[in-house]
Amino acid sequence: MGITLRKDPIDLFFSAVTAVAACSVIAIILGIVFVLIRESSLAIGKFGFFAFLTSTDWNPVTESFGAATTIFGTIVTTVLALVIAVPTAIGIAIFVTEVAPDFLKGPIGIAIELLAAIPSIIYGMWGLFTLAPIMANHIEPALQSTVGRLPLIGILFEGTPMGIDLFTASVILSIMIIPFTASIARDSFNLTPAVVKESAYGIGATKWEVVKNIVLPYSKVGVFGGVVLSLGRALGETMAVAFVLGNSHKITSSLLDAAATITVTLANEFTEADSDVYLSSLFYLALVLFLMSFIVLAIAKFFLLRAEKRYGR
Amino acid sequence: MQILLAAALTASLVLPFATVHAAEKLNGAGASFPYPVYSAWAYSYNKATGVRLNYQSIGSGGGQRQISARTVDFGASDAPLTPAKLKKHNLLQFPAVIGGVTPVVNIPGLQAGQLKLDASTFCSIFLGKIAYWDDAMVRKANPALQLPHKKITVVHRSDGSGTTAIFTHYLSETCPAWKTTVGEGKAVQWPKGIGGKGNEGVANYVKRTKYSIGYVEYAYAKQSKLAHTRLRNRSGSFVEPNFETFSDAAKTANFNSKRHFHLWLTNAPGKKSWPIAGATFILLAKEKKVVNRKTVQFFDWAFKNGDKTAQRLVYIPLPAALKNKVRAYWKSQGI
Amino acid sequence: MTVEQRRKLENLTALVLSTLAAAFGLFWLIFILGDVLVHGIGALNADLFLSDPAPPGIEGGGLRNAFVGQIMITFFATLIGVPIGVLGGTFLAEYARGTRFARIISVLSDIMVSVPSIVIGTFIYALLVRPLGHFSGWAGSIALAVIMIPVVLRTTEDMLSLVPWTLREAAFALGAPYYKVIMKVVYRGAATGILTGVLLSIARVAGETAPLLFTSFNNNFFSWDMNGPVASLTVTVFQYAMGPFEEWHTQAWAASLLITLFILAITILGRAIIKWRYRS
Repeated sequence: MGITLRKDPIDLFFSAVTAVAACSVIAIILGIVFVLIRESSLAIGKFGFFAFLTSTDWNPVTESFGAATTIFGTIVTTVLALVIAVPTAIGIAIFVTEVAPDFLKGPIGIAIELLAAIPSIIYGMWGLFTLAPIMANHIEPALQSTVGRLPLIGILFEGTPMGIDLFTASVILSIMIIPFTASIARDSFNLTPAVVKESAYGIGATKWEVVKNIVLPYSKVGVFGGVVLSLGRALGETMAVAFVLGNSHKITSSLLDAAATITVTLANEFTEADSDVYLSSLFYLALVLFLMSFIVLAIAKFFLLRAEKRYGR
Repeated sequence: MQILLAAALTASLVLPFATVHAAEKLNGAGASFPYPVYSAWAYSYNKATGVRLNYQSIGSGGGQRQISARTVDFGASDAPLTPAKLKKHNLLQFPAVIGGVTPVVNIPGLQAGQLKLDASTFCSIFLGKIAYWDDAMVRKANPALQLPHKKITVVHRSDGSGTTAIFTHYLSETCPAWKTTVGEGKAVQWPKGIGGKGNEGVANYVKRTKYSIGYVEYAYAKQSKLAHTRLRNRSGSFVEPNFETFSDAAKTANFNSKRHFHLWLTNAPGKKSWPIAGATFILLAKEKKVVNRKTVQFFDWAFKNGDKTAQRLVYIPLPAALKNKVRAYWKSQGI
Repeated sequence: MTVEQRRKLENLTALVLSTLAAAFGLFWLIFILGDVLVHGIGALNADLFLSDPAPPGIEGGGLRNAFVGQIMITFFATLIGVPIGVLGGTFLAEYARGTRFARIISVLSDIMVSVPSIVIGTFIYALLVRPLGHFSGWAGSIALAVIMIPVVLRTTEDMLSLVPWTLREAAFALGAPYYKVIMKVVYRGAATGILTGVLLSIARVAGETAPLLFTSFNNNFFSWDMNGPVASLTVTVFQYAMGPFEEWHTQAWAASLLITLFILAITILGRAIIKWRYRS
């Protein structure tokens, strides 16, 4: 193609400039990995890899640090957020593609995407001032007196409802990722060939049957990719959870307890860490988070690409 | 590389423009404990001299870290650094103002100063050994109060904090169980509770969480209208946190400029002494002479003109003799 | 119950549930926006834009420093990030079109779009803040630019790919070198699309807080100096909302309202342009 035309010196120069610009992405990724490894080398040397990941210590007095508590917080908030967000998002996608009357499809789609545009700091502040009191005074006591009474699950809702806990943080996080999942699910649904759907309707299938038997199986790879993408997003969210998580380095059995995620720990402690090991451990956490989300996002991308390839755009 | 290049390019374009507007500036960061008084001083200092002293409240740990990394012009810390540590990072240290750490509670119906706590009760609450407000130990000191059977929510600091250092120093001094299980420091491994960022964060969480207890610098308790408690001091009397009890604790202090004023004011022996008082310190990078002169000019101005502001915010200005000691210290360090 | 009835009931349940899901999503949008609006509007006043912060306990004060700082940081981030992104996208869609290399960069950019922004903050702190010895507006702008580059790069690539190849061939036939074809034909054809990408990337970074915490830091005073700490609205909201003072909370709501309106306006504008230009 165009590459054969490169004879003009200016063209050669221009192509080189664009190539360098394109490589900046690789440079940034390698730069991040390199810098984070360099900065955390002190902590890596002191705590090792698996020992760091599994240690529940976060003790600045004895300078003993581990990532287990923050990884716990990160995973619990993320998973719980997905549990709330994924069914909702798929419901929204079904509504927008199959159920809503045509004049509503556009506006609702846009409204949901606006939800994605609201900055995370707004979610966080709103969460602290508005949602947390509602959680503490109404929702959490209600949960305690219902599901909290059940055996086994009950343990998840023990403690004082404070509104500043894993549960509130997960709810906010779920509101944030609903739009991502919903819009990818919607796009995947739209890839289902109309002919197939129409023939199903033709033989008398109901809307739900078409969704369940035709659309969902057809688009499952794409939807799955969307879910994993949201997972990646949720892992790295900082501000929305920083306000309402309570920054406590502990592994708890109750969702009504305060906890800490990697991101929140970085936001709170990064400028304030006083010893070298402390700061290095924070860089180490950043590295762990970067690798975690990079891998998750790469998996998401893999599925989305496969979905795209299989059905074509 | 790309980015750096682009940045350098844009920088060279804009720099001349920026410097035209550059007024005298100083950047400090650290302890949130004295943030209200430093920012009030800086506000008036700016009106009086035009110098912009930007003080950011990021916690004492942050103050020590950022001045050691030389990313700010001065650091601030409530926990005094030992002479050995100062030497290691090539820092200078002097006290700027004295204040007190105050326990604050949020129990609906309870007024400020009603709840009385002694050191071991207080310590047991933070250790998680006392879980409910109507625990026998709490009731013993407060026979007249109707305390609810509600779980106590402990609020502590999440960041490296001098307030925590003073607070845990006090707990370690007065409560053996604390000393052995938790210890003291700017950040510790808390047995229980939720963590707020800065004095601001703790005050905010206590305000928003019913049946909670936390500890903040007194100015924060006052300005955010939180209920403080009374504490039993070393001489055995229950005292209120106020100007008088803080001053009483400060009176016992004997600062030594040879040790860069390294001193704790907790658990002072005076009859009226507030048990968790503390000085807050300024840290300077020893080699930055020019910047230090400007910083010191600010504090000299504050020593002369800032006492009223400090008192209004319930900080204790340094006694005149100590101010002169600090001035002599500046001189001896060639500032 | 007959099979017919069961099918109908199942269908109805599913449709009702999906409608409820949509209502649930809309509910949060209205709740959050309404709350920000109600709290924010009451807090708006001229002082907010005209004066700098007063210390706690002193009446009045505003966020002029943070408004100007936010604009400066975002502006320079755009100035750094957009050219790199557009040029990189050009390489992928033109010179390297269809190559494995282009595919790899494209996928990596997609991943970078969602990488935690706080990690970028720590990266820039280690790269620019500590070695240079001070927090600076530049560090903040560069951190945001790093977030922008992959966004702009990907949209540019997509938008350039939409320009029909035959258009380029027509220009080649006239003897134009490739760079001229790109400048005069391809960019012109994709201009609105690229602009939209730029707008959306601005919307993406204008609300970012995490990468600014350790880079541009914060400043209580008005400052043009990008070499020193610069205030930003988002970091100020974080500080003020976390603080215990009523006046701080009020100002944080006002600032939140303005950030939200700004970002939603840009987002809607971007979407509107796409709709208007690429209505197929």
